[in-house]
Amino acid sequence: MNSRVVRASKSALSVQKAFLAIVVVVIAMALFNVNPGTKSEFFTELNFVDLLKSSSIFLILAMGETFVLIGGGVDLSIGGMMALSGVVVIMLINAGVPIPVAIALCLLLGLAVGATNAFISVYQRTEPFIITLGMGVVLTGIGEQLTNAHPVSTGDLNFQNIANLQVLGPVPVLVVVMLAVVGVVYWILRSTSFGRNVYAVGGDYEVAKYSGINVLRTKAATYLICGVTAALAGVMLASQLSSASSIAGDPVPLFVVCAVVVGGTSVAGGIGGAIKSTIGLVLLGILTNAFNMLRIDSLVSYLPTALLGVIIVSILWLDSYGRKRRRESV
Amino acid sequence: MSSATEPIVGRVSSQRAINLLRNNPIFVAIALLVIITSLVEPKFLTAANFDNILRQFGTLIFAALGMTFVIMAGFLDLSIGGIISLVAVVTVTLIDKVGQGPAILIGISVGLLCGLINSALIITSGALSQAESLFITFGMSLVYGAVALMYVQGVTQFLTYSTTDISIFNAINSGGIGFLSVSAVLFLACLAVLYVIERRTYLGRAVVLTGGNKVAARLAGIPITRTIVFIYAVSGVMSAIGAVVLVSRVTLADPTMGTPYTTQAILAVVVGGTALAGGRGSVLWTVVGTLLLILLNNCLNLLGVSSYIQFVLRGVILILAIWLDRVKQDSVSK
Amino acid sequence: MVVTSAPQALLSINDVSKAFPGVRALDQVSLEVFGGVVHGIVGENGAGKSTLMKILSGVYEKDSGEIVFEGHVIDKITPFESMKLGLAIIYQELNLVNTMTVGENIFLGRFSELGGRAGVHSKARTLLQSIGSKVDTYKLVSELSVSDKQMVEIAKALSFDSKLIIMDEPSSSLTADEIQELIQIIHDLKSKGIAIIYITHKLDEIFGFCDVVTVMRDGHVIATRDVHDITRNEMISMMVGRTIENEYPPRPEAVGETILEIKGMNTKKLRDIKLTLRKGEILGLVGLVGSGRTELVRALFGADKVARKSVFLDGKPITVKSPIDAINFSMAMVPEDRKLQGLLLGFSVEQNISLAVLARLTKRGFIDAKEEGAVSDRQIKALNIKTPSGRTKIRTLSGGNQQKAILGRWLEMNPRVLILDEPTKGIDVGAKYEIYLLMKKIVEGGGSIILISSELPEVLHMSNRVNTINDGRINGEFDPSIASADEIMAKAFEFA
Repeated sequence: MNSRVVRASKSALSVQKAFLAIVVVVIAMALFNVNPGTKSEFFTELNFVDLLKSSSIFLILAMGETFVLIGGGVDLSIGGMMALSGVVVIMLINAGVPIPVAIALCLLLGLAVGATNAFISVYQRTEPFIITLGMGVVLTGIGEQLTNAHPVSTGDLNFQNIANLQVLGPVPVLVVVMLAVVGVVYWILRSTSFGRNVYAVGGDYEVAKYSGINVLRTKAATYLICGVTAALAGVMLASQLSSASSIAGDPVPLFVVCAVVVGGTSVAGGIGGAIKSTIGLVLLGILTNAFNMLRIDSLVSYLPTALLGVIIVSILWLDSYGRKRRRESV
Repeated sequence: MSSATEPIVGRVSSQRAINLLRNNPIFVAIALLVIITSLVEPKFLTAANFDNILRQFGTLIFAALGMTFVIMAGFLDLSIGGIISLVAVVTVTLIDKVGQGPAILIGISVGLLCGLINSALIITSGALSQAESLFITFGMSLVYGAVALMYVQGVTQFLTYSTTDISIFNAINSGGIGFLSVSAVLFLACLAVLYVIERRTYLGRAVVLTGGNKVAARLAGIPITRTIVFIYAVSGVMSAIGAVVLVSRVTLADPTMGTPYTTQAILAVVVGGTALAGGRGSVLWTVVGTLLLILLNNCLNLLGVSSYIQFVLRGVILILAIWLDRVKQDSVSK
Repeated sequence: MVVTSAPQALLSINDVSKAFPGVRALDQVSLEVFGGVVHGIVGENGAGKSTLMKILSGVYEKDSGEIVFEGHVIDKITPFESMKLGLAIIYQELNLVNTMTVGENIFLGRFSELGGRAGVHSKARTLLQSIGSKVDTYKLVSELSVSDKQMVEIAKALSFDSKLIIMDEPSSSLTADEIQELIQIIHDLKSKGIAIIYITHKLDEIFGFCDVVTVMRDGHVIATRDVHDITRNEMISMMVGRTIENEYPPRPEAVGETILEIKGMNTKKLRDIKLTLRKGEILGLVGLVGSGRTELVRALFGADKVARKSVFLDGKPITVKSPIDAINFSMAMVPEDRKLQGLLLGFSVEQNISLAVLARLTKRGFIDAKEEGAVSDRQIKALNIKTPSGRTKIRTLSGGNQQKAILGRWLEMNPRVLILDEPTKGIDVGAKYEIYLLMKKIVEGGGSIILISSELPEVLHMSNRVNTINDGRINGEFDPSIASADEIMAKAFEFA
């Protein structure tokens, strides 16, 4: 049997677990709908579009993070970067800077941050987890300083339209942008030399090095990409809400990392992909949405958050455990 | 510093003093900081300010002390923020039900429990590297924080609304034994215990051996599993004590109050000189590191720097500290 | 191979030397390799074969000498450049990215040159077919058998248009059928004019399909001969015989009854190990690198997980699941790689020595510092460890003294069973003799030693008994005072 088909279906199998989970959640929600006591607005068009919109932002973030994780690193500054970028773009627009210029500046900011992350983590060989964590703190702090911890907003309609203009029925531009980003990342990872090199560097650093791949530059590039996508996500979010706040929240990067891991990327590097990350994120997104929709009795209204945390830890734990089993196979 | 296990105190000849200064730029940094600040802002050298500084040796120092062993063993505990939040809300909400003494004890047990859960997860997952333990404890931070939120439904619990006796908390906040505040005494007691453990006990030695070379230590019969349980248990308990002190200070328990302490604690440990990779370090150094951070805070406040910029600076210092630590590592291993 | 006039050598190695701290890996090595010739290289562990290959492929840099490949002098190249020049090497530990496909591995880093996915996979398929391999290029490397992985490596070498392919012990993990396939491929390559350097322990392979053989020993080339001009015995003698530089104390005499018995032990590599150890004896374990010697002792010591283990101490079954258990049963192990597995470099000599007996030095949780110092001083004196004091950082000591410190760590325990894995590696002659005397003292005191060493004379002179291990199985037992080195080595080299 053509191994290509076999392999495709095998990887679909692992993603199938996430797929299956999605199906389970949807069915569960449908069942809940039967009972008026637990009926929710899960299946409304409004909710679906909302889900799509909020997932889009996370997906854009996830695409950049996928690059970094496949390459064997990690970037936890994306939360702060997203927040700062949103704040900066709105402040620039309010100051009269033309929209395209403002957006370009933000993306450049993302590039600069990514470059800094790359420099310290890759070229100086420090632990990227802490470095990017610290960077996230720095970016959040800068954002707070700039806004004095108050959310900033803009009335500029043109800017709002960037994300919110509805082009395909009720589907806004934001989703189109997201699809474009996913498509581009998918293409890069699958069909370009650079993309394949990222897999090589993450899969086996030494072998990649001995094969003439410039491992440092490849890894650095993943951080650059991640910085830019985080900045883009910030701009899109600001456009969607026509406001921005400096508090991105700590869970954002972790949520994204876990979504990507759920989809089939490992924090150790070497495997993963755009589609896989998308499925992982969709699953977590639906889960969160379902939890919120169920509006369980106020006594345990934070339960979903806790459960989400447990799920996240379980995923990470399984990732490590899987590696342990493979290591010790006798 | 010459060795993690050679005492710093002792007959300090001028040569040793010079070496100490040269090997530890942190002392120079502290000296500089003191000098510069007192020049710019004379209020720095007042007794009131000193008192202020001493008072700030609060929650952070406890969290940082607990973090020290974890880092010395070559691991990381990123969940302490969540643990502090959880312990705070649990303790305060239980005061009216069981009285302050038992409430505090239960709170500390919660901290211990969290630490044990952390260690169990790390051991069973076979996490070999520091990186893997990072992710898991980071995730647990989310869980503990969420449990804290759940427990009080997001509502801040005020100590002052309590109907029962809260004298212990008051004492921790404002009481005194001689010229030291109660929390200072608590800190010194914890420091003493931890220092003795670190220098003189088997477990303390196991901690630093594990960080030095886990493979060699294991092959020589060091119980790695037990060591891991120990470090996270200590971290959990110390975070819990820190939470109690924090609650006493601000007279409330907010389910997210612990969040900033995680990175701060790591910073205090690394700045103090304990190597992030493990195998070298001491709780004493962490005290010095915390002192530097507090001084920095104090100076920045006196100089009128906005709190947000301070926030940024902390992130920058964290990055710099880790970077320099890596540079130091590389030069040592050559 | 018919040679009329002397053709230009494809590869000329002239007087190449390379030293590592404490060890002369290569000493004025010279040899020539010609196109279309299968050139075998044999030698014991430590003869210098892999060092030479790593210099050729650019992983190491030679200290002196000249290397000429296809008329060009080669100096200071990277592995990638070496591949591009046409010099490919296939390592024992295969150099493939497990998480990627076959096709991509063959063209790792050259994706765009071949027009993307389709181009890469079609060219890869062509290359694989040219060596008769039917491996699917879309398969992940992690899913392949070792034999298939080697095919991929060969295809990779061919993709660089290699003129010389070095194969480092390629058949060690192959079945008999797979080896036949490999031999066929080698003949094909040969007929295309490609030169093959074939490193092996299996003498039958040399006689089976090599044209020329070079015998190395202790970093020297002993001889390069046409395969027809040399006999098996001559080869073994060349590999093993040497001027005896070391002195050895006389073998231990009083050997008692069996104290330790392994009735069966299985891991991925080890197959049904059976071994006995008697009181007061030194048991030598002789085998090639990769035969399972270290795996055996590690499994015994509880350092690794095993599938099945049946061990008896004093006739009673014992369970050893971790080094802590082993130590409790009075077993000790000096590991193979002292830097990675033995030394705690950032710590003092004293702290390194006290390590194994730390529990004994602990009373009610507290370490008795004075007693620790006494232990350390005792071992420093007994082993003649050269160090300014016990509190000096062990990093500053010489290799020999570091090894002694590790030995001291275990000797302090007075173990009943002491496992020594390459105890005198990288140690000068004088220190070696001291260690031999120590070993004798241990067994005279009633302890027993399992000795693993790549230095055959060492094992033969020190052991009462020798077990040969081959391909994960104990396949022979000898009395070294009677059997000859050649006999023993022949068993270790046996074609499994």
